Amino acid sequence: MPQSLDAAHPVPPPAPAAAMLKALFRRSEIPLLISLLVVIAFFSIASDTFLTTRNIANVLGQSALAMTAGIGVAIVFISGEVDVSVGSLVAAVAIPLIVVMNATESLFLGIAAALALGLVVGAVNGYLSAYLGINSLIVTLGTLFILRGGVYLYTGQTAIPDEAMLESFFQIGNGRLLGLLPYPALIAFVLLLAFAYVMRHRPFGRQVYAVGGNPEVARLAGYSVKRVKFACFIISGLLATVAGIMLASRLGSAVHVAGLGFEFQVVAAVVLGGVSLSGGIGSLFGMALGVLILSFLSNGLGMLALATEWQLVVTGGIIIAAVAFDEFKRRRI
Amino acid sequence: MHAELVQERGGAHTGAAIEMHGIGKRFPGVIALEEVDLVLARGKVHALMGENGAGKSTLIKIMAGVYGRDAGSINIGGREVALRNPREALAEGIKVVFQEIALISEFTVAENIFLERHPVGRAGSIDWKKIRAESAALFERIGFDVDPAARTGDLPVSQQQMVEIARALAHEARIVVMDEPTSSLTPNEVALLFKVIRRLTDLGIAVLYVTHKLDEVFEIADTVTVLRDGRHISTRPIGEHTHDTLIQDMIGRRIDNLFPRSRGHAKGDIALSVKGVSTDAKLDDVSFEVRAGEVLGFFGLMGAGRTELAKAIVGFDPIRAGTIEVAGRPLKPHDTRTGAGLGIGLLTEDRKGEGLMLELSVQQNMSLAALGAFSRAGFVDETREKAAVQGFVDRFRVRTPSLNQLIKNLSGGNQQKVLLARWLMRGLKVIVVDEPTRGIDVGAKSEIFALLDRLANEGLAVVMMTSEMPELLGLSDRIAVMAEGRITAVFDRDAATQENILNAAIA
Amino acid sequence: MTSESLSSTRKPGTAFGLFADRSQIVLIGILAALCIAISLAAPQFYSEANVIAILRQCALVLIVAAGMTMLLICGEVDLSVGASLAFVGCIGMDVINRTGSLTLGVLAALAFAGTVGLFNGIVATRLRVNSLIGTIATMMMLQGGVFLYTREAVQNHHHLPSFTGLGAGYIGPLPIPVIIAAIVFVVAFVALRYTTFGRYLYAVGASENAARLSGLRAERLKLIAFVVTGLLVGVAGMILASLMNAGQPTAGRGFELTVIAAVILGGTSLSGGRGTLIGTLLGVLVLKVIDNGIIILRWNQDLQMVVPGIVIILATWLDIVRRRADAR
Repeated sequence: MPQSLDAAHPVPPPAPAAAMLKALFRRSEIPLLISLLVVIAFFSIASDTFLTTRNIANVLGQSALAMTAGIGVAIVFISGEVDVSVGSLVAAVAIPLIVVMNATESLFLGIAAALALGLVVGAVNGYLSAYLGINSLIVTLGTLFILRGGVYLYTGQTAIPDEAMLESFFQIGNGRLLGLLPYPALIAFVLLLAFAYVMRHRPFGRQVYAVGGNPEVARLAGYSVKRVKFACFIISGLLATVAGIMLASRLGSAVHVAGLGFEFQVVAAVVLGGVSLSGGIGSLFGMALGVLILSFLSNGLGMLALATEWQLVVTGGIIIAAVAFDEFKRRRI
Repeated sequence: MHAELVQERGGAHTGAAIEMHGIGKRFPGVIALEEVDLVLARGKVHALMGENGAGKSTLIKIMAGVYGRDAGSINIGGREVALRNPREALAEGIKVVFQEIALISEFTVAENIFLERHPVGRAGSIDWKKIRAESAALFERIGFDVDPAARTGDLPVSQQQMVEIARALAHEARIVVMDEPTSSLTPNEVALLFKVIRRLTDLGIAVLYVTHKLDEVFEIADTVTVLRDGRHISTRPIGEHTHDTLIQDMIGRRIDNLFPRSRGHAKGDIALSVKGVSTDAKLDDVSFEVRAGEVLGFFGLMGAGRTELAKAIVGFDPIRAGTIEVAGRPLKPHDTRTGAGLGIGLLTEDRKGEGLMLELSVQQNMSLAALGAFSRAGFVDETREKAAVQGFVDRFRVRTPSLNQLIKNLSGGNQQKVLLARWLMRGLKVIVVDEPTRGIDVGAKSEIFALLDRLANEGLAVVMMTSEMPELLGLSDRIAVMAEGRITAVFDRDAATQENILNAAIA
Repeated sequence: MTSESLSSTRKPGTAFGLFADRSQIVLIGILAALCIAISLAAPQFYSEANVIAILRQCALVLIVAAGMTMLLICGEVDLSVGASLAFVGCIGMDVINRTGSLTLGVLAALAFAGTVGLFNGIVATRLRVNSLIGTIATMMMLQGGVFLYTREAVQNHHHLPSFTGLGAGYIGPLPIPVIIAAIVFVVAFVALRYTTFGRYLYAVGASENAARLSGLRAERLKLIAFVVTGLLVGVAGMILASLMNAGQPTAGRGFELTVIAAVILGGTSLSGGRGTLIGTLLGVLVLKVIDNGIIILRWNQDLQMVVPGIVIILATWLDIVRRRADAR
């Protein structure tokens, strides 16, 4: 008779101590944190000016752009998609921002206009990827091109200066809390905490993980996979907009070449932070550590008076090493 | 909460939880279901039986909202429902426990229990305390011993299956569908499962129990519906059935004709010799020999290590210790190229993942391993290739409109024939077949079976991994039984019985 | 459903079917429509000078795209080609300046570019780093490295006529880069279409496990595809250096995206196993005819970034729609 006799033999659960160690090691934040401390320790010894409050605050300020946009990119990655359009988006949103501020002298309207553009771009990316099913790498490469071309077309390849000269706008990118911590760092940190909370403690965040981890299971659990992914692209668009606003404030204008290659920097940090390209794995804190490692590294190498190009070389090497280590770990454990 | 649900719907007519009538579903080139009726009574266990390809999974996928139906009506509580997607099915109280694990492996067990709706507290934050406490209480209630805080992917498959089943209890389900729930469970867990099912029926929930295991049906079911080739064959109370009548309904003919016991094969020289093979993952000191023309059947429960053994001896997976020799020549481990060169190949159990190149044609799929033989100085002689492929298509009676047809459009049985031909075209001394008839309809099953029998008669050494008893007993000259990565017993064909094989498998 | 983009699934006996399938017919249609539309608006489109200019533009992209097609077919990708292109030009020019030998310069360029390909291949197949990420990292290292190698453009101090000929010369009516591209194209076409190597690449991309189980060395095949792509970048880099008469460290920015856009436009799947060189050729032609049209119609040249972005999304979407229709 057609009788299948499969059954599993009982496997004892791993001992609690071993399981905990395994879980600890599996969390990519721990090795990342150690790496960050090693980087900081190394440069503190190598340079006297590295470990000063001022310098640390500066690095945090510099990392704010990648951190802010990185939150969105990481969320898209976790949902199992890719977003590389952020490099052009940070430049594109500066245009409505500056143009509307110049016309209305209102920071509020300027920011609203910028966010509107970010929302539209996120929605277009999300619609094409999630609803039409076009590979999101292709979609966002496409919008990367289109937005950059659009910026060149609109600006005629020059910068549009900020003529409203609002003090509040200047403060966004250049002000410091208590004269020390740059506002961008503060903004990025608040956003990081907020979205980390969402990803961990709101049903939406868990849906993002589920959709990226196993879309079929997520669908069976009653989630709308498309809607969740769509929302992730919108979040990414809006966060890249915030990064773009901070950048425009720092530059004091809408610069057509702003953010060239920024998408690669962000993707590198996100991947370094242990967020998997295949979806469902990774955390925003890991991403933040990835950004910080790269920022401190770049700052430290600069202090050692090494050519800035070394930073690119070292960063590239570190990314390969980190991802290779991650892969190795996954196969071993 | 379930008790209230039951009372609330108490007035509905006939006590039917769901009524499905005239359900039809077609896929490109295949009619999967035609005019199927199924009515589930509240508080009863209804078994759904049928061979592979009978339409069981299509029917439950329609209930789960995974597939839309092409014809027929579904009524729940006297109301016609659409069930356009899984969300609508869940909202109607239909909870399906699929055979494939439908859990997020990165999540904790507790979170997976509440995957469909995370309970939220004040301000919309997820109430993790409640999730942990309620799943712990749930497990306690049904006597299921697993840590709710464990990462789901770390659990063995059988426990993951139990988590899925327990999940059905955590929701306000009116209808619970279980698709082959025992396929990876231990006897203890099966007992636990039946306890869970009785608890469900006590709450007035209708259970649809999909299986092809007869013993379970007689133990748990109140009513049995049998499907065959997408059609409704019979629905009867279990009391009206015997083993024989059920089998007759399922197969439509006697089982003996399906897997005829072969006459036994003439043995030649030693074709494959495996000595002391161990792997990091599973295998522990496995040794055996197979002679040309011999069929060595491997039996074991799920997780016994059959597939791992198959992959190790053809050179696909690395091994930690041991030697493998094909016709007296050593095989370099973890290198399929030398394996294929020596004449050993694997017909995988995972056709989609490891066998087929779905987007390529029948011809490209079939000639892959033998392409070197059709080429000169690296150039493929397509005329010879095509002739060889056509030859095998005719000989194996592969039903395909043309050699350029994409392989994904063929039925499972025809795909399997193409994969078998891939190896035979190359010329093998040893073929390792892993669950050769999995996911194949009844007719093609016996064709594959006859093909393997013929190949052995022609002098090929066959190593067959299977969990199908009739297949094992019908074809093997010797039977090796595995448990936990080791060979626990080897029987000659005349000494092998279901009982002693099973005893060795559980040891 | 015999119309999938693999040429060996063609219907036998039809001459046209030998070279194109349905998705490519769409591309040919688009190309024809573009040519007609542009020539109506600007008759000089068909002038010999313009046609030659378009072909020369195509040559550079096509040479690298041939390698990229192989990579995509076997399921990998290389984003470092743009950065490598610039580096190669600098090295080649530098070596010629020092030795006065074109041969040595070309060999050095090929050696360097081949090594980059090998490195990418090892990172992808041995270290198992997703090639999308791994080659972004290589791109960064090359972008940094080229400036460590030279701060500014490496000028032509040797004035070898043969070097200038590499980019600007002609054989008969045809520019040398076009001839090189044609040779590369034919060799790659034959390799993909008629050799076991080509068939194996499709197999590895379609299902790496199935290929491995059938005795193929999937990792080695991928490695070869990476090295071939690297070598082709070496060829293209020398041509570019010749055309610019300098090794420009900033050259090739965004080149990788153009190449990938052309390959994908040509119907090669990002997920591997599907694609043809004919498609890639058509993809390159469509992109470059659009570029050319923008120039001769005197439209704003910044549209050259916008249009490919739209085209690549549109082409992928059309491919999805077509496959869905096929599945019915």
